[in-house]
This record gives sequence, structure tokens and C-alpha cells, in this order.
Amino acid sequence: MNRSKKLLAVGITISIIFVVIGCIWLSLSVETLDEVAEHFGSSESPVWTPPIPDYEIPGLEGNVAANIFIGIVFTLVTLGVAFAAGKVLKAKK
Amino acid sequence: MHIPDGFLDLSICVIMYLAALVFWAFAFRRAKQVLSDRQIPLMATLTAMFFAAQMMNYPIVGGTTAHLLGGPILAITLGPYSGLISTTIILLIQALFFGDGGITTFGANVWNMGIVGVFIPYLICLFAMKTMKNRNGMLIGAFLGALVGDLLAAIFAGLELGLSTLSFPYSVPIAVTAMAIHHFFIGVGEGILTAIIISVLWKTRPDLLQLPKVAPTWMGELPTTSLM
Repeated sequence: MNRSKKLLAVGITISIIFVVIGCIWLSLSVETLDEVAEHFGSSESPVWTPPIPDYEIPGLEGNVAANIFIGIVFTLVTLGVAFAAGKVLKAKK
Repeated sequence: MHIPDGFLDLSICVIMYLAALVFWAFAFRRAKQVLSDRQIPLMATLTAMFFAAQMMNYPIVGGTTAHLLGGPILAITLGPYSGLISTTIILLIQALFFGDGGITTFGANVWNMGIVGVFIPYLICLFAMKTMKNRNGMLIGAFLGALVGDLLAAIFAGLELGLSTLSFPYSVPIAVTAMAIHHFFIGVGEGILTAIIISVLWKTRPDLLQLPKVAPTWMGELPTTSLM
């Protein structure tokens, strides 16, 4: 395995560990900004309805396995988008 | 620190989009020049890793939680231009698919986390390396860069909120103070984690620390990791 493939394999493994930890043990998110806004009486007014609000599939809220699945899928999507962006930038050199 | 839709006035959103556009244009041009074939898998891996890392929320003071932003590590490993592009990709996926951060506030979020949160740690780390010329210089720079970067990003978020008089009914000092106090502790956490990760990379893959290679010419010659 060359160094780039090894790097990708290690990176994906660590990312999956992060997703699992984030979905099982460190899933409670109380954003400072939300707390500050709530304290000051401001509220969100979304202009876009995201397909997976708050990282949970609608209808499967609180399902840890589904959350892990979504986390891993979108980690791989992010990897693919960043890889493609790198290739496009390099191609335009 | 992801600002949702509705928290900022339209005028502030437009200004922040324009500011981000300037940096995007500059970053795309510079990234094309400095990005090597070897760096593409690293850029993709780190972008994915920090997307995943932002799913881990650890408790901080005041009953709130924090997560790694990743900007300082992206800046030190990829340089600020590719670091900004990586952060933009993470923020775009979070906003489009998960509603984590708004669409109208996307420019502001990129400014806070992708520009301030990447370029400030990068510059502080460069100055620390230039001054101390050893491993400790890079680690101190990584810690301080992450701390100051997070703090300044929060101060900018507070400024944007405070200046949005139509959407956020409190003044700049109140919004900035509220954001800065919490994010000081987040910055300390980010600083410690950044220094630990950089220390591990130094021992295992010093070739991945790109900082001296993408330093601006006005900083003069910088010591490389292999010489420190």
C-alpha cells in the first residue's frame, strides 16, 4: 500500500471512530451561539429545509445506528467532494 | 458557532458574502499554485476527518458543548488556501444537508470559521516558528494560534450579531462579550488538541506539516520541520 492510500485508510478509520464516538457518547449538542441567542430572545428563520435536519433522518430521530450510518455516509461524501475539488484545482494549474 | 438563517440582517449577510468571495477567489488562485498531487489525498482525508470530528460535542462551562473546528490543523498541514477550501466544503455540506448553519449566513460562517479560523492560526504559528526556530515554537504557535483564532472567530460572530440590529436586539458589546467568554474555553480546548495532533504528526509524518512551504515571501526564510 503506498503512502497516499495508507493515509486515506488511516484517515477514514479515524473519521469513523469520530462518528461513532460522536453518535454514542458525545452526541449532546448545546451550541454556545444557540444558548446566547435563546437568552437574547432571537430565533431561527430557515430559508432552506435540509433533508437531514440536526444529523437525524426524519422518522428515525434518536436511532443511534441510523445516525452512525448518516455520519459515515456523509464523511465519505465530504472525502469525495474534497478529493474532486483538489483534482479540479490541480487540473487548472 | 454556525450562525443560522434569521440571526443576521440582510445587509450584514451581503457584506460577509462579499468578504468571503474575495478570499475564495484569492484562495482558489493560490491553492492552484501550491497544491501538489501528494497533498490532494491529505486535503480530502483531513476535510472528511474534521467533518466527522465536528460531530463530537464535548461539554464546556455554562452547560454548553463545543467541538473541534479544525481550522488551525488544516492551516498548518495544508496551508491557509487549501485550508479555506476544505473548511468551505465542510460548512457547505453541513448547511445544505443538515441545516447546521444557514444559507443566507453562509458567507459569515465562512468568514468566521474558514478565514479568521484558518488564517489567524496560520499567521501566529508562522511568527512563533520564525521567532523560536524549534519544535516548541511550532507547538506554542499551534496552541496560541488555535486559541486566538477561535476567540477572534467568536468575536467576529458577536460583531455580526451585534450589528444586526433588525434581527438581534442586543448591542455589539453584549453579543461580543457573550460569544467571547464561551469561546475562550473552546479555544483552550482547540489549542491543546491542535498542539497534541501537531506533536504526533511531527513525530510520525513531519512531511505533512506544510507551513514553511506555503509561507509568504515577505516572512523570509523559515526553518523546515526536518531542520528543527
